[in-house]
Amino acid sequence: MRVYLGIDIGSVSTNVIAIDENTNVVFARYIRTNGQPINSVKQGLRELSVQALSDGYEVSAVGVTGSGRQMIGLMVGADVVKNEITAHAAATVHFYPDVQTIFEIGGQDSKIIIVKDKIVTDFSMNTVCAAGTGSFLDHQAERLNIPIEQFGDLALTAENTVRIAGRCTVFAESDMIAKQQYGYSKAEIIKGLCDALVRNYLNNLGRGKVLQPPFVFQGGVAANKGIIRAFEEQVGHEIIIPKYFGVMGAIGVALSAKSQVEASGQPTNFKGFDCIELDFVPKSFECSGCSNACEVIKVIINGEVAAMWGDKCGKWSSSV
Amino acid sequence: MKVSFPYMGCVTGFKKLFELLGHEVIMPEKPTQRTIDLGVLNSPEFICYPFKIMMGTYIEACEKGAELIVSSGGSGPCRAGIYGDVHKKILHELGYDVEIVIFDSLFENFGAFMNQVFKIKNKTPTLKVMKYAYLVFKMINQMDGIEKELKHLRAYEVNKGDFDKCFDKIKELYDKTYTLKQMKKTYAKALEMLHAVPVNIPPENKRVRIGIVGEIYVIMESSTNMDIEKRLNALGVEVENIQYISDWVKHHIIPRRFSKEESWKMFDKGYQYKSCNCGGHDMENTGAIVHFSQKGYDGVVHLMPFGCLPELITRSIIPQITEDYGIPVLSMSMDEQQGEANIQTRLEAFIDLCKNRSNKQQISPAEAANSKELKKEFAGIM
Repeated sequence: MRVYLGIDIGSVSTNVIAIDENTNVVFARYIRTNGQPINSVKQGLRELSVQALSDGYEVSAVGVTGSGRQMIGLMVGADVVKNEITAHAAATVHFYPDVQTIFEIGGQDSKIIIVKDKIVTDFSMNTVCAAGTGSFLDHQAERLNIPIEQFGDLALTAENTVRIAGRCTVFAESDMIAKQQYGYSKAEIIKGLCDALVRNYLNNLGRGKVLQPPFVFQGGVAANKGIIRAFEEQVGHEIIIPKYFGVMGAIGVALSAKSQVEASGQPTNFKGFDCIELDFVPKSFECSGCSNACEVIKVIINGEVAAMWGDKCGKWSSSV
Repeated sequence: MKVSFPYMGCVTGFKKLFELLGHEVIMPEKPTQRTIDLGVLNSPEFICYPFKIMMGTYIEACEKGAELIVSSGGSGPCRAGIYGDVHKKILHELGYDVEIVIFDSLFENFGAFMNQVFKIKNKTPTLKVMKYAYLVFKMINQMDGIEKELKHLRAYEVNKGDFDKCFDKIKELYDKTYTLKQMKKTYAKALEMLHAVPVNIPPENKRVRIGIVGEIYVIMESSTNMDIEKRLNALGVEVENIQYISDWVKHHIIPRRFSKEESWKMFDKGYQYKSCNCGGHDMENTGAIVHFSQKGYDGVVHLMPFGCLPELITRSIIPQITEDYGIPVLSMSMDEQQGEANIQTRLEAFIDLCKNRSNKQQISPAEAANSKELKKEFAGIM
């Protein structure tokens, strides 16, 4: 069976998925990146290779997205290396062709994508602060000693709301501590946090945009019921959560890889599951050639320098 | 006197002018991380980004012994109007004995303008000053013309880096040019060199064009905008910047009545959205977005320093322009805290958006072949 792979390397999670020719998801893994994107991709591919062997998959295309896309693209031999925004939109439009607004909240960035007639017409991405992202919730859950998986359900049990300053993570945290000292319950504080996160997100990213239903909410944070309810309250409309909300970026890029390979008629660049065994080492150093002091990233595959980037003048990147 | 000036875009013209006037030129360096660090350290925290970079450039020039710094001013609510005086104060506090001469528009205060000319003309006879000014004016015009074409062609370069090398050589050629007669030859040679660079131009319906508007310093000086033009070119997109130093000079020297400059037309196009200029180039930028839309561009990238007042006003008008004319606009603020990954993701997504809107998304066979080439390259390593 022909399958198309999508890999999304994010700051918090690495997602590896495979779709078949009829775009059914046949494999999906959500793996914590833990600052080691290469290992987490290898882990995902290893699990996939086991399933591929038993079910007889033939990989026909690979797409890579997320913040680590350039490096992992090199490692696996990607046919398509796409930015997260396009990838997310591609998946959502595929499952919900009439979608008009996509909310995506990931580990360290969040986006609003505006779609009209299946085409992205506008988007915005957080630039200044991480207050509206998953890492913030993760961190606060840890501080309150609540597993992040129970965070959302606990928020739903709150009877009262408490307003928490959501401008910035640091201020939100100090405000939260103050409210705890005033005697609010954990559930109320968590609900307050969810409200603050959504308020912050809509204020920062939704500014100057007309948000129209249907709304689709995806990204890892869409697992959080408290956030979903806060969204529904604040936009005043029902929110759709896709079945594969956590891996939509990976699905989107797999779809692009599929259409690219089909359009070009060329065989895939995929290096095969053997790439798991490759000795793939990224290294970075500060160039001392001039006072720009660029941080240059060097990728070494099996002892040989395969690619370099990050320099402003091209001294290193053109040397490979 | 030892003269220096801020580094903004292509500075060969300035260098030439001061050399001809008999000054010793302390060549400012293209802003590097050190320049930015120096500038940020010695500037007020919430001042605009260009101020900080110019501050760093001036300090570096003073370290090399500059005695006179020549720069341009600004009027209206834009803070560029206070740059000169504040820079001078900070430089004096740092212990550098340096004079700063600021040129404002010729028409606002003719007396002051001439006064500044006398400060820098260095006993050169007036007629000669005019002759030199004409030569330099013509030179920056030619160089800007070449640069404009380069930013279109670079999107299609076959070997990465060819155009940058070519333009460096062209700059060297102009650097050695001192008379009008030499310049004619230099220009012909430069054009020849530019067109000799191998390019792979796709059919007309696949070409994607992006306009760049925004605050003059961040759109002209590549080191302050993360090399945005090169990034866009690398994504296979032609770029048209609305600001060039020759345009600025023409706009400020030639009276409107005699001017055929596009900047004035853009001014007029901006008036449908606001009744007055709010300082800086906000009126031109508003008009320019309309202009690019009417010329059939696929999108516009709008850049501004973080917290720039005139450009924040432009930004607030952008949704309305997009609604009226249908042109997508990506607005980004630049400052020393900017991260590269974020900019790259937004640019890539924006170009996808523009291509999708104009239906230029299909992959050409050439592109597919290109990716195969890459594959072979990597296969060699494996």
